[in-house]
Order: sequence, then C-alpha cells, then structure tokens
Amino acid sequence: MNEYASQLQELAAQGRLDAAVGLVERLSPTEAATAILALPFEQQRLLFLQLPTNVSAALIPCFPYFHAYVLLQALKVPEMAATMECIHPADRDLFLDALPEETWQNLMDTLERARLQGALPETATEAAADQVPPSAPSAVAQPIITACQIEKSYQQPEGREIQVVAPLDLSVEPNTIMAVLGPSGSGKSTVLRMLAGLLPPTKGEILWHGEPLRGSHPNVAIVFQSFALFPWLTVLDNVEAPLLARGVARKERYRKALKALATVGLKGFESAYPKELSGGMKQRVGFARALAVEPEVLFMDEPFSALDVLTAENLRRDLLDLWSEKKISTRSIFLVTHNIEEAVLLADRVVVLGSNPAKVRADFRIPLAQPRDRKSAAFLVYVDYIYKVMTQPSLELVPPCPTPAESKPKWQRLPHTRPGSIAGLLELLIDHGGEEDMYHVAEQLLLETDDLLPIIEGGVLLDFATAHEGDVKVTPDGRNFAEADIVTRKTLFRDAVLGHAELIRKMKSALESKSDHMMPLELFHDVLDEHFTEDEVLKQLDTALNWGRYAEIFNYDPETDNVSLHKTDHLETQDAAPRE
Amino acid sequence: MKSAPRQHSLKPLAWGIFPSAVSSALKDLPVFLAAFSVFYAFIAVARYWSTPFTAEAQISLRPSVLPMYAMFSVMRIAISYVIALLFSIAYGYVAAYNRRAEKLMIPLLDTLQSIPVLSFLPGVMLAMVALFPKHQLGIELGSILLIFSGQAWNIAFSFYSSLKSIPKEMHEVAEVYRWNRWQKLMQIELPSAAIGLVWNSMISVAAAWFYLIACEMFTLGKQDFRLPGLGSYLQTAANAADTRAIIWGLAVMIGVIVVMDQLIWRPVIAWAEKFKLEQTESSQVVRSPILELLKSSRILPYIERRFIDPAKERLAAHGATTARPPEANGQRPIARAINYLLAAATLAALAWGVVKMGGLALAVHGSDLRAIFVGGGATFLRVEVTLLIATVWTVPAGVLIGMNARLAAVVQPIVQVVASVPATALFPIIILLLTRVGGGLAVGSIVLMLLGTQWYILFNVIAGAMALPTDLREACDVFRFGRWERWRELILPGIFPYLITGCVTASGGAWNASILAEYFHLNGQTFSTTGLGALISEAAERGNYSVLLVSTMLMAIIVLTVNRLLWRRLYGVASTRFKLET
Repeated sequence: MNEYASQLQELAAQGRLDAAVGLVERLSPTEAATAILALPFEQQRLLFLQLPTNVSAALIPCFPYFHAYVLLQALKVPEMAATMECIHPADRDLFLDALPEETWQNLMDTLERARLQGALPETATEAAADQVPPSAPSAVAQPIITACQIEKSYQQPEGREIQVVAPLDLSVEPNTIMAVLGPSGSGKSTVLRMLAGLLPPTKGEILWHGEPLRGSHPNVAIVFQSFALFPWLTVLDNVEAPLLARGVARKERYRKALKALATVGLKGFESAYPKELSGGMKQRVGFARALAVEPEVLFMDEPFSALDVLTAENLRRDLLDLWSEKKISTRSIFLVTHNIEEAVLLADRVVVLGSNPAKVRADFRIPLAQPRDRKSAAFLVYVDYIYKVMTQPSLELVPPCPTPAESKPKWQRLPHTRPGSIAGLLELLIDHGGEEDMYHVAEQLLLETDDLLPIIEGGVLLDFATAHEGDVKVTPDGRNFAEADIVTRKTLFRDAVLGHAELIRKMKSALESKSDHMMPLELFHDVLDEHFTEDEVLKQLDTALNWGRYAEIFNYDPETDNVSLHKTDHLETQDAAPRE
Repeated sequence: MKSAPRQHSLKPLAWGIFPSAVSSALKDLPVFLAAFSVFYAFIAVARYWSTPFTAEAQISLRPSVLPMYAMFSVMRIAISYVIALLFSIAYGYVAAYNRRAEKLMIPLLDTLQSIPVLSFLPGVMLAMVALFPKHQLGIELGSILLIFSGQAWNIAFSFYSSLKSIPKEMHEVAEVYRWNRWQKLMQIELPSAAIGLVWNSMISVAAAWFYLIACEMFTLGKQDFRLPGLGSYLQTAANAADTRAIIWGLAVMIGVIVVMDQLIWRPVIAWAEKFKLEQTESSQVVRSPILELLKSSRILPYIERRFIDPAKERLAAHGATTARPPEANGQRPIARAINYLLAAATLAALAWGVVKMGGLALAVHGSDLRAIFVGGGATFLRVEVTLLIATVWTVPAGVLIGMNARLAAVVQPIVQVVASVPATALFPIIILLLTRVGGGLAVGSIVLMLLGTQWYILFNVIAGAMALPTDLREACDVFRFGRWERWRELILPGIFPYLITGCVTASGGAWNASILAEYFHLNGQTFSTTGLGALISEAAERGNYSVLLVSTMLMAIIVLTVNRLLWRRLYGVASTRFKLET
C-alpha cells in the first residue's frame, strides 16, 4: 500500500471523512484512484458518497470500468446522473461502451427516469439491490498464504524443461472466498496444489502466515472434482479417515465426523457406501470430510463440475449459507473453477489465469452483496468483463511480472475444437444478426467456458469471426462458410486452414517435400515436444489431423501411424507447379 | 461387518423353527467347526513332517486314507499360497514405489513368469533333501518352494499394476490429510488391489494344484521323492491298474476342488465386490450363501470388537505420532548408503552365481549339445501342434456354446470344473490307457499335453463368444451376412483377444507338461521320446547336472523368445485393433 492509501485508510477508519476528501482532492485523479482501490470496499463507498460531483467525475475514468459501475451504484440517482453529466464525453463514451448490453440499457433507463422526474428524491433503482450492506469496516488482515514468484516446470525425458506455471505472486487472505479462473490446461490445478502444499514449486517460495513451511503440514483440506471417496469405506469411515490419520481417539472422531455430516445435511447416511449415493450427496461427503478437520484454508478443485446444474446450484447455496452464517471454522476458501458464472456468484475476489504458461491476467474484487442475482446489471458487468479478459490474450491488465518470460518464439496453439462446432457457432451468430455477447452465447448454448472458448478461438484463428471486448462477430468469410453447402464448406475451410493454421501448413509442406508424400506422425510429435507438454502435444496433433482430414489435406493411417497427403493434392503437386 | 445396524437376512424356514438364541448359535456353529478343523489340520501336518525320512514312501490305496491325503495336499497348497501372497505384496509394493527398482523388478517378473516351473523340479528336490536329510520336512519344503514359485509372479504383477492404477486423487487425499504408511496400505492400496488379487489368486491356486500333483508323484530313478497326497494316490492306483481306486481318487480330487470353490472362492469373490472401483451398483453381482452365513454369525463381529478394533486404534495412534512430513531432499545419507550396499551385495551374489553356472554349462559335451538342440526343436514342434489341434476343435465348439445362452449356462460350469482339475492328476491314468491302446510316445505325449491344456482355450473361447455384443450380431443379421462372412468379420476378430489369452496359458501348460509327458516310468518300464522334457528328466535321473542345466536354460530361452516375438505382438494387435469398445 502506498503512503496515500495508508493515510486515507487511517482517516477513514477514524471517521474523519472531510480530511479524507481533502486529501483526495489534493491528489491527481490516477493517484487518488489507486489509493482508494486499496481501501476495503465499505470505506470506498462511504468516501465516494462524500466526494463532490466534479471530483468523482474526474475519478471515475481512472477506475476499472466494472469497479466504477459498482461505485456509481452507491450514489443516489440524481447524484449519479449529475456525475455522469460531469464526466468528460470521451471518457464517458469509453465507459458506456465497455458495459455489456443489459447493464448499459439499465443505466440509460435509470438516467432517463432521473431526467424525466427532475429533482424528485431518490427513486428505488434496481441498483439498490446491489448495495453493500453497511458493516463495520474491516481491518486489512495479513494474508494466510503468500506465494512469492512461484514457478513450476516439468522435466521432459530428453532433459528439456516445459514451464507450466510462470513466476507468479498470489496471496490467500482471510475471510475471503477467492476464485481462480482459467481455460482448461492453464495450470490452475497445479497452482492450487502448490498452495496446498501437495506439489513443491520448482522455484519460488510459499509462506504460511509469513513463515516458510519447514517440514510441517499446513492445516488445509481439499474438495475434489471427482469426489475422491473410497468406495470400500462407508460414509462415516470416509469422513473419519483424516481424523484417524491425526490420531484422534475413537469417540472424539465419531463425534466430529457426525457433526460434519450433520452440517452438510447427511445425517442418517453414516453407514451407506458411496455406491448408493447420488453425485450431489457424494460431494457433500467430500465436504464433510474436508470440514471435519476444521481446516484453516479450504481448497476446492472444480467441486461442482461433475454435478448436474440443479444439484450444483443447491450445493453452492448451501456452501454460501455455511460460510456467511459462520457455521464453519474455515478462515478462507480457495476455489478453482472454469465456470465464470459460478466464480462471480460465489467469490469475493477473482483471479484470472492465462495459459501456456500460467500467469495472472487479472486480479480484482467483487464487492456485491450476497445473495447475488444472476440477472442483475452489476452481475453481468463482471461476467462480461471476465469473458473479455479470457478472450484477449494480448490484454495485460496486471503489470507484467519483473522477470521476463522465456524468450522462445511462441508456437501457435491450435484450439481444440471441431469444424462442425465452429460452423454451428457461426450459424448461431448469423441468426442473431452477426454479432452477440459471449456470455449470451454461453447462456443459450448452455456451454461452459472450457467448451465455448476453444470454439471461439477456432473461429477467430481461421478468420471466420472476431472477438472484441467480450463480443463475437461474424466476418464475411465466416458468413460464406456458414451459409455454404457441405462440399463448398470443405473448400472454404481448407483455404482458411492453409492460410492461418501454422501447424497444418508446416505439416503439409513437410509432406510435399518428401517424394512419397508420407511421414510418420512421430516426427511431428517430436517437433511439438519442445514446446508443449505431452498431453498438449497429443491434443494438438489430434486437432491438426481432424482439421486436416476434414479439409481433405491429409490422410492418416492409424495402423502404420503415417500421415500422407490427400490424393488430389498428391496428383496436383505432381503435374502442377508447387503452390505456396 | 461394522457395528452398523445389521440386517437379518431372510433365511429359509428351517432356521425359523428354532428359538432365536438357538438359531444364532447354530449359525455360529459352522464357524467354530471351520476354525477347529483348520487347527487340527495344522497339528496333523506338523506331526507328519517331523517323522523321519523314509527312503521309499508308503502310499496306501485304501479309499479311507483319501481324506487325510486330501488334507495334506490342501495344506501344502495353503501354506505355499500364503507365503506367495505375502511375498507378492512386498514385491509389488517395492516395484511400484521405487523407480529404480521398478526398472529391474518388472522385467524380471516377466521372465520368471515364462520359465516352466517343472523344469526345476529335480534340482530343487535334490537340493532340499540334501539340506534336510533326516526328516520329511525336506521334501515338503521342496514341494512348497516349487509351488510358491509357480504362484507368486502373477499375483505380484497384479498387485503392482493395481498400485500403479490408483487414481491420482486418492493419493492426493492421503497426502493432504496426512495418512501414514499403514493407513495408506489398509485403506487405499490393499482395497484397490483386492479384486485383482482375488482373481489372480484363483489362477495361482489352480496352477499350484498342477505343480503339486507333479511334485507328489516325483521319483528320480532309485530315489523316491513321493509325498502322501492325492497325486501320489492317483499315480499308485494307475501303476497298480486299480480301477476302483482310480475312480475314488478322481472323485475326491474333483470334490476337493469344487468344495474349495464353493467354500472359499465364491464367498471371497462376493466379499470383494465391495472393492469394485465403480461408482454405481452393477446389476450382475456374485452372491454366495456361505458369505451370508458368515455375515450373520455373531462370533466374528464379537472377535472384531474385542480384539481387532483396539489393535487397529493403537496402530493408528502410533502411526499418527510417528508420521514424518515428506522429506524434500529424498532419503537420508545413511539409508542411501545401505541401499547401495545391498545392491552391490546382490550384484556380487548374482555375478558369482552366473560364473558358477557358466562353468557347469560349459562342461557339456558336443554330442549332448546337439541332442539338446534337437530335443528343443522337437518339443517346440510338439507344443505348437498341440495348440493347433486344440484350437481347431475348441474354436468352433466354443463359439457354438458361447453364442447359445442356454447351452452356455449348462456347459460353462462343467468346463470350469474340468479346467480346474490339474492335468498332472490325469497323467498316470491316461498313460495307463495309452499303454493299453499302444502307439509310440511321440504321439502319446501330444495326447497328454492336449488333454491337459485344451480346456483353457475352450474356456476362453466360450467367454469370448459370450462377450460378443448383441448389436454387432444384429447388424450381421440385418445386413444378411453369410456364415463365412459372419465368421470373418465378427466372430474371429471378436474372440481373438480371448483366444490369445487361452493359447498363452495353454502353451505355458504344455511346456510344463512336456517334462512329465516325454519321459516316465510305469511298472518298471521306461517310456521316452525325443524332446527337451525327456532330456531334462533323464539328466536329472542320471545326475548329469550340466546337461540338466543347459536343457533347462534352453527351454527357458525358447519360451521367453516365443513370448516376446509371438504372443506379445499378438496381444498388442488384440488390444488395439481387435478391442471391442462399448
């Protein structure tokens, strides 16, 4: 925290808001914004309410737009309208453009009503529901876990190192539900395991309450995506197992386990075997097992992904109830998920990771009150923002880390999707007039980020669509592709692939250079090995073959493991001059 | 069998007649009897083993000694099985968790599995008797050692692969919640290996019978290494051409195997259902009335509560206090030094052994060497011919049976029983028949090997035919496949993996059988034919140790080579191209 922030914090804590306002006025807008962001949200809100209109109008453009939106909602409607008027037109346009459609509409409606009703006192707006309930300002506590420049690399058998997690800093604070989002394969599970003490980082250090872990076990628990229950133990045995490991006596163990089971609502199922339970109940057992040891930090690795939508919803609500009513002694929750809505629904703080290697792309707080309404304007702002972050790899929203990343030339990564899915997405977009918000698409197709983003990336790579600021838009090429018949589609796809997909282009030219136009897949495997982990290499090759076969560029014979040029190509290269 | 509220199963009306106290006592009665009989068996065997060594074993032919002989045979199998189990768990554990050891131990396992056990029979027996010249114990230990080496390898491999396929998350649970070694073993490792261990144990025990019978019948020229047991009974009966005794012997043999299956294997399989790594109840569950009986007895839970639970608690508490956090830097220097010393010592011992063996092997004469190679070729041909003949008739028969559900339900249990009767038990009888019929041993040995091993192939082909998916069969019907097409496109590829499994087992059995089938004595006459098995038996009898060594080595090499070059390739093809994915 810089000195201004600490000064502001002191003043606000002492209730000397006038002095705080004075300090803010003296600072430049950017400095003031940074200082205010470091405060707990409640204090920010109080301070913001006190600021004169021209000062707040100057500050708004300096906040991240989603944060600015929530702060604006803290004001009464006439003041909000006045502030909006005062903001510099260019900044105001930027701000409004950034908002997702529903939110923007909502804001416009509110301002319209304010204009019509003139100087009438405050009208209840939808925004009132998003107000943070006044509570005692909380002192900023020391983080429980601090990760300093942790890094994870894996040794390949040939001695090369693949970096899975680039040096990153992360901290887990008390009284926070923290969600970590990222595309699949981005290393978020690896980060979770490093913080939980399961995996040692290759470099960097992890501190518990400021002290390094020297041979002691931190008191943590993990809830797994696949429940990780032991099928040969009863529910009670499963929950008691960690207590048994700690040498807790029989009666005490039994008592604690029963208490944990009652907390999650599974009383009466002690002697059941996991086979007899539904998915939701099994995950409840997983929770009970985690809670029975009364962990300081509760780690969750995509805990609701394996459940159906309704059960997941149910469990989330129960978890929030336990957390907010302080029925569990856990001080902090660390949740890894690929479901954006889930993160915004549950978390106080969200970290978005980028992949290959993993690094922090965004780290922000969500100050909205619980229970959060999925349809509310402020909720949508955050969901939209996260989509933006995840689909714009070039957008660095956190200052780049001091140690430079590996200076290897970046190898283009094929998104793992099928031509059919890309075609389906384009057709959907055309139905909606050629353009749509990403979270709308996700909603309509009931797809999660893991499934949707690769399709969008595929479309963007092949120049069939563009992704900008959380919106997907069809390009003319994409329109042609989607509206063509089966045969023409293949030709269009082939042209696009050869024009944009590096890997396939390289494979084709390698095959052309051989006289029999045939090569074992292994060779390409070895080339890719230098840039990706084994799993990723296999997926890349799988996608490349899939696209290549659809576009009638390659043939692949699984028996001999050989890739060969498609016959027509073969014949053409024989009699025609080689194409570029 | 935890202390949760127990279900009282619906037992047939017979139990309901008695008052409840009496009926629950009656349910405990079988448990008592079982425990008592096991105890008696131990005492009887111990008493027998300490009797002085007799140069010529007295095998009685009276049917009344059969129960005792049966008990002796069963005890030998039981003891060697327990040793094999403990050894395999230790071996598999080390191989699974120690990277460096794994690289050596698994190929070694592979090799050991392929070596025909019976080729070592003469050597081991001679050695053991030399160690314990005074008591029966020597021969008994020899047979137990031999049977052990026939059982341990596949159980070890099963345990090892179960350990390697434990889901990563279970390891992570153990790591996060700080389980100690003992808890991990009892709650993760053994349970996840349970099903594999059970099935492999069944296979091992079946193999053990095969070897045991051979051991019990074993004579070496003038020296009589026979042991009182079912095998020697059958051999003596055949020698004396006593038909009645033969029938009694066979009946008891089959009876013992069936009883063991019902009383031991079925309950164990039913109990092991709870270790299935599946997340939902499967519709086909094995049930066993014996298991139900055990579950409803009161004695066992009582023993568990009074004695086993407190012991478990104390172990857990001890484990918790002595648990050390994971060492980041690997082993401490002392442990590492000890490891190196052990490795060096083992290598030195191996080197010395190899040098000694080399010396012995080089003492072979040129002419003998030629005979050995010729014999190797002959036996190889014999084994392959056996496999061919077996395949030719078992594939059509097996497919016919397997694809007809009703027929399969009747025939399969019968074949199972026939397959589990050890071929070596039938040898003396078949030899007797062959001598009556006439014909040289060249053909007779093939008959012997056939009759011992074709059941494995039949059994597997039936299973393969039963596993052909209905929808593929319906597709054949809809597209009007002719008989030839049906066989070529569906049936043969579909049963291919099972056929290979059957052939590999049959091949191993045939090689083992060749040692007995190519050279034996009957009523003072010696029958033999050209072959490696004959050479081994003959060399052992004459005390020509260098020939014995080289022949055994050659047999091992041939089996290994065929394994690598042929069976492994076929397995690979079976698991990629011919795998029926649902």
